[in-house]
Amino acid sequence: MAAISPQPTFEENCFSSPISFSTTNLLPCLEPDYKPFIPANSLRRMSRVLKMGLAASLKCIADSGIKVSGPIVTGTGKGSLQDTEKFLKEIVTYKETALNPTPFIQSTYNSVNGLIALQQKCTAYNNTFVHRGFSFENALLDSMMLLQEGEDHVLTGAFEEITREHFYIKSRIGFWKEEQIDSRELLSHHSPGSVAGEGAAFFMLTNQPTEKSYASITGLKLLYKPATEKLLSALQTFAPAVDAVITGRNGDSRFDHFYDTVEKYFGNTPQIPFKQLCGEYDTASAFGMWLGAHLLRAQELPQAWIGQPIAKPVNRLLLYNHFYGEQHVLIMLERV
Amino acid sequence: MAERVFITGVGMITAIGDNVTENLQQLLAQQSGLGYTRYIDTIYKDVLPVGEVKHANESLFQLAGLPPQEGLTRTTLLGLIAMREALEDAGISELNSVPAGFINASTVGGMCDTERVYFDIIDPGKEGSFLQYIDTLDCADCTQRIADIVGFSDHIATISTACSSSANALMFGARMIKQGLYSRMVCGGTEALTRFTLNGFNSLKNVDKQFCRPFDQQRTGLNLGEGAAYLVLESESFAKANNSRILGELSGYCNTNEAFHPTSPSPDGDGAFDAMRKAMEMSGIAREDVSYINVHGTATLNNDISEGKALERLFGTDVPPFSSTKPFTGHTLAAAGAIEAIYALLAIREGLIYPNLNFSEKMEELQITPVTTLMQGVAINHVISNSFGFGGNNASLVISKYEG
Amino acid sequence: MEDLKTKLKEQIIEALNLQDTKPEDIDDNAPLFGEGLGLDSIDSLELMVLLERQYHIKVEDPREGRKILQSVQSMADFIQSKQPA
Repeated sequence: MAAISPQPTFEENCFSSPISFSTTNLLPCLEPDYKPFIPANSLRRMSRVLKMGLAASLKCIADSGIKVSGPIVTGTGKGSLQDTEKFLKEIVTYKETALNPTPFIQSTYNSVNGLIALQQKCTAYNNTFVHRGFSFENALLDSMMLLQEGEDHVLTGAFEEITREHFYIKSRIGFWKEEQIDSRELLSHHSPGSVAGEGAAFFMLTNQPTEKSYASITGLKLLYKPATEKLLSALQTFAPAVDAVITGRNGDSRFDHFYDTVEKYFGNTPQIPFKQLCGEYDTASAFGMWLGAHLLRAQELPQAWIGQPIAKPVNRLLLYNHFYGEQHVLIMLERV
Repeated sequence: MAERVFITGVGMITAIGDNVTENLQQLLAQQSGLGYTRYIDTIYKDVLPVGEVKHANESLFQLAGLPPQEGLTRTTLLGLIAMREALEDAGISELNSVPAGFINASTVGGMCDTERVYFDIIDPGKEGSFLQYIDTLDCADCTQRIADIVGFSDHIATISTACSSSANALMFGARMIKQGLYSRMVCGGTEALTRFTLNGFNSLKNVDKQFCRPFDQQRTGLNLGEGAAYLVLESESFAKANNSRILGELSGYCNTNEAFHPTSPSPDGDGAFDAMRKAMEMSGIAREDVSYINVHGTATLNNDISEGKALERLFGTDVPPFSSTKPFTGHTLAAAGAIEAIYALLAIREGLIYPNLNFSEKMEELQITPVTTLMQGVAINHVISNSFGFGGNNASLVISKYEG
Repeated sequence: MEDLKTKLKEQIIEALNLQDTKPEDIDDNAPLFGEGLGLDSIDSLELMVLLERQYHIKVEDPREGRKILQSVQSMADFIQSKQPA
């Protein structure tokens, strides 16, 4: 696995660092030096989210010890906002003449996938999902199906960026809190909206566990605009006892009731929030899964990161997340 | 043993017709839908031909059976029209009688409407109904609007892999059926013309000021198009138990990546070669079983060399009859895979091979030339349909006759 | 001509974001594509945009473009040939 996020997750021993926070309702990524990962000739042209996606995927590949010759499947909700914004503006600035093609090319949602395949010279199956809070989970589903169909390994991931401009745009429809808050206190602020985040997370999925494995994905369920009853019914069939719930609770009072339902269903089971670490974005659940997988392998996470001690052993985790009440996901993770 | 996947309903809207019947009529009449745009505000409006659906948005609302309203993009409307036809064609009156998934595809989603109001959206000094388009840019918007209006409530997803998007949507849906997750999946794509894509492809110097000439030595590029198409896929056991009208079979498919360059295929067509070969292998058909190939054939300098070389490498001296239907519809980007899958199905059912319009001179790099006149009364059993896109995303489908 | 070539090199470096390259690193006659700077087809389109934005010269055909863009010298020669006498 590998993740670039608003926390120092790309570094070795990231959990010994204090957590990063913001007071502007926007949690930007801590970006690494990309030069060790991406040749200068490619780097010069790439926009931000492409660098994040490619670097995270390359680190994941290195971490796995597997040379990628297999499928690559990703998800993103908004793709490269920077390139889309740039091309839209250049069309106007240059009155539709003398336009550089690079922002147009890079604004296509599958450009990160294409770059990874190009860099790895990988000609296998390649797919990109662009569906808000279902983007990463559809990529996961596709990957799990590929493993069932006989692939040994699949590289799967998600990437997202927020720009100043897009932050403003989404503020106009109430995505973010009106009051500026300390992101560490996200869950104490029960008011409409959340804080914006961004990140890239990649996972090498294999058919069989190895000594490098972090966790096992044993269940996946996607629910589109479910009523509370449907969510409850899904929990009943999908998630018997778990040791903790990785919850996508994000402080948005309009949709907290879904998280309340899940919390109540699991009684005293510890709830581990993650949005105070990564912010809210379409593919934030990928960060949640990264965190959960770390917990399962290490059997602990720093209290500073998750706000509470967790009793061992941790064998089964449920990740529950939704994106503005529409796309709800349940991912079951188990210790290997 | 994984189930076979059958096609039991189809619906579409393109520059050559508002539904499948009209599309077929124009294909038979060899009548292209290319022309200058009436609805896009661009300096190229009388310069670059496009395959535009012959309706302004007001009229699309009517065709979709909805009162005009803000917040529904042209992309959504095109998709809705095609979706309604597909569901009706499949005899589905009650969508939730059986769990059904919806896999949609688009490349620029609601950009057709967003680009008109973008500078108002980012202006704090401006208010207005344009605010309804703030969240309509991304590809998921049209998928969810269509899902909510017609009533999909199970699995929904949107794929965006440039020009191969809806072919990949068909593949994903078929695989979900074979995995036993659903008995019925509705898959396809929708794309509207935008100033954004027109300028994007123009900046790549990839567009033709004339009507496009696929596989022609003098070709200089593509014409953009718009449209939507959906296919209802059902498992064999479900289709039979349901007494569904089986139109054909999605018997083979393959997705590969070119891994050569961000926008160009390899000159020898490695990705295309592999995609077609593996799709045929999955289908269990030999080279001589292929009756017709609906090529990607965008008429760009690179695609046609690459795809042509791949055909020659795969079939040797016996390349089956092939043609590009993009001179009829323009290149409909994400919708192309599904539109052309329906054309493949029609070819089988009607015994047709479509002409590759605007062709006159063989490419110097190739031995082969496309079919140039409409062929009728042909026994068509298996059709390969290709869709190759930016980012090296290649998809080949095999559509086969259902013998019953 | 020498001034034009120096200016061109600076503009190429800026347009293509060649951060580690200085104008003096680029030989007038060295191939820009393939070897030399190792540029690709997207770069050639960007250089054609440079010609249009900075020198108001429009090159429509990418094939013609490749010939003009072979080296800094060939670009400078082309620009000069398009200047009013």
